Amino acid sequence: MHVLIINGSPRIKAHSNTDKIIDKFGEGLKEAGSTYEQYEVSDRKQWDAIRDAFAKAESILIAIPLYVENIPGLLIEFLETVPARQGDADIAYILQGGFAEGIQLRCGEEYLKILTKQLGCNYKGTLVKGDNFSIRFFEGKQRDKVTGPYKNMGVIFGKNGDFNSEECKKFTGPEIFPALTRLLIGTIFKTVAKKGFAQIAKGWDCTTPLDFRPY
Amino acid sequence: MILIVNTTNDCGITGSLKTLLDAQNKEFEVVEASSLDIKPCIGCNFCWLKTPGICSIKDDYEEILKKIIKADQLWVISDTALGFIDHKGKNIFDRILPIATMYLHFKGDQMRHVPRYDGQTDVGIIYKGTLEREYARRWTERCALNFDSKSLGVYSEEELKEAAACMS
Repeated sequence: MHVLIINGSPRIKAHSNTDKIIDKFGEGLKEAGSTYEQYEVSDRKQWDAIRDAFAKAESILIAIPLYVENIPGLLIEFLETVPARQGDADIAYILQGGFAEGIQLRCGEEYLKILTKQLGCNYKGTLVKGDNFSIRFFEGKQRDKVTGPYKNMGVIFGKNGDFNSEECKKFTGPEIFPALTRLLIGTIFKTVAKKGFAQIAKGWDCTTPLDFRPY
Repeated sequence: MILIVNTTNDCGITGSLKTLLDAQNKEFEVVEASSLDIKPCIGCNFCWLKTPGICSIKDDYEEILKKIIKADQLWVISDTALGFIDHKGKNIFDRILPIATMYLHFKGDQMRHVPRYDGQTDVGIIYKGTLEREYARRWTERCALNFDSKSLGVYSEEELKEAAACMS
């Protein structure tokens, strides 16, 4: 199988978490004997090429970061210019986000079924997972720990051509966290995470407190 | 204050809304955004971690953001595309990230960003064209979580009276 992978993230490739996810996923695809070509919606210069590839592809995968409960405005802008297929292409999605619980991504996932009809494609499922905010701030083994699990999903997709298996569904992790876990994570948010964010901000030459009110 | 951001180029909708709201003596402000320069969010995270509260994109959105912070209600009038609001309408929502901080907490049973400001801005949609209405309602409910507020609903341009009745 040859897969057209479209990175639907508006963030430039170098800093795109979605791109790092695609990297690992692509490793798995290759291991399963599939090939893929990848394009970036963040680069408007590629839009004509993506449209051409979209018109011809038999298997399409759009990888998307959740932006305010749905797909990003820039991806909508691009897709508004794409002619619909005639039911002659399969489409699947990787939907990812920062918040860790599966429930955070379900509203976006629901839209992808609507989008599939609008694009005249056959829906092959969505791989849903959050907790990916930190990818851009990590490197090496630390990053692999977050993105690594996507490799196996690539293998499965390469074999099945969809995300309908139990394994893919389980990949999401918990829909919501149990009350005790929330208590624990809530404490981490107020302590370790807060310090971590301050550290990143310092590295970015931030000179104001993170809860600063400019207006 | 009621803030109405019209991302369509149909001033007839805002004209009708003005008449309805004036008749009810309601305070409101209309921003005709279709001719403004409003770029899409690029997810740079600067508004959370480099220049807290300030968007790195310098365009006409900053003035809208300042109004949203003070508004009790935000109504976005949008064209539709692909069964949803179109990219111009969605961009108004994607660009609200500076109203949240990087900090996280649990709101009910789900993670959310800690709001940067005290006020709460309820959100409503008025659309021109066709969209998946039930989905749009569900989305607006979820969208409101990002404003720490509630949804005011989704109305077509044929239902301005109903929308105006929810404006306060």
